[in-house]
Amino acid sequence: MMQGSNTYLIRPNHQHKFKPAVVKEYIREIVRDRLSGVRYNPEEVPELCRSLADSIKDKVKNAGLDRYKLVVQVVIGEQRGQGVKMSSRCLWDADTDNYAEDVFMNENMFCVAAVFGSYYY
Amino acid sequence: MGKQIRRWLAQIVTLPNPTVLFFLAKTAFAVEEVSKIIKESVESAIGGNAYQHSRVHQWTTTVVEQCLSQLSKLGKPFKYIVTCVIMQKNGAGLQTSSACFWDNTTDGSCAVRWENKSMYCIVSVYGLAI
Repeated sequence: MMQGSNTYLIRPNHQHKFKPAVVKEYIREIVRDRLSGVRYNPEEVPELCRSLADSIKDKVKNAGLDRYKLVVQVVIGEQRGQGVKMSSRCLWDADTDNYAEDVFMNENMFCVAAVFGSYYY
Repeated sequence: MGKQIRRWLAQIVTLPNPTVLFFLAKTAFAVEEVSKIIKESVESAIGGNAYQHSRVHQWTTTVVEQCLSQLSKLGKPFKYIVTCVIMQKNGAGLQTSSACFWDNTTDGSCAVRWENKSMYCIVSVYGLAI
């Protein structure tokens, strides 16, 4: 899946770098587009969640990032006034690797989508 | 004599090369091992505690940080991404999914769902080979 040819590049060019602000905008667009006005339905949510993660991955993958491995995680939950907390930590190269996330909420559900990009040397 | 040597050589070639096996064992993402690390981290950070709004922040932080420190001790050539979601139980549903673009032969992920009487905790670890 990844291109394995050795380019001897150890840092991405600026235009091919993972830019959190740009990626965040992609996430926001896709999530708002798919979840606006949708009600939380336990039967449909697993498929919705999976396809959302897939669309975000495809969008970011085709955005001109060079040699980046991507991890997209989507969490969808029902809103019933309960407490929720999500945290993440990464062990990676802070020079090249980055992440973007966005939170969407409507009357009865919330959705957190995070994209992590890790440069493949 | 020459025949004997040739037979040995043939044997060595057909056997799985130990160096190759050792290399594979060292670099593949070991799901079992990671899943054990996650479970231990969650148990030690949350254990039997009941959901408390003031403490969830600390719990999620402790879980991810403890997982990462144990993962780094494995000494494998991986970058790691760890996420932890804690949700109070009140009948509300929660779903997580992930999609990855990576090298399927070396990279991997492991997710553990844990719960007690008052909360759910879902921890996901992604390992990306360097």
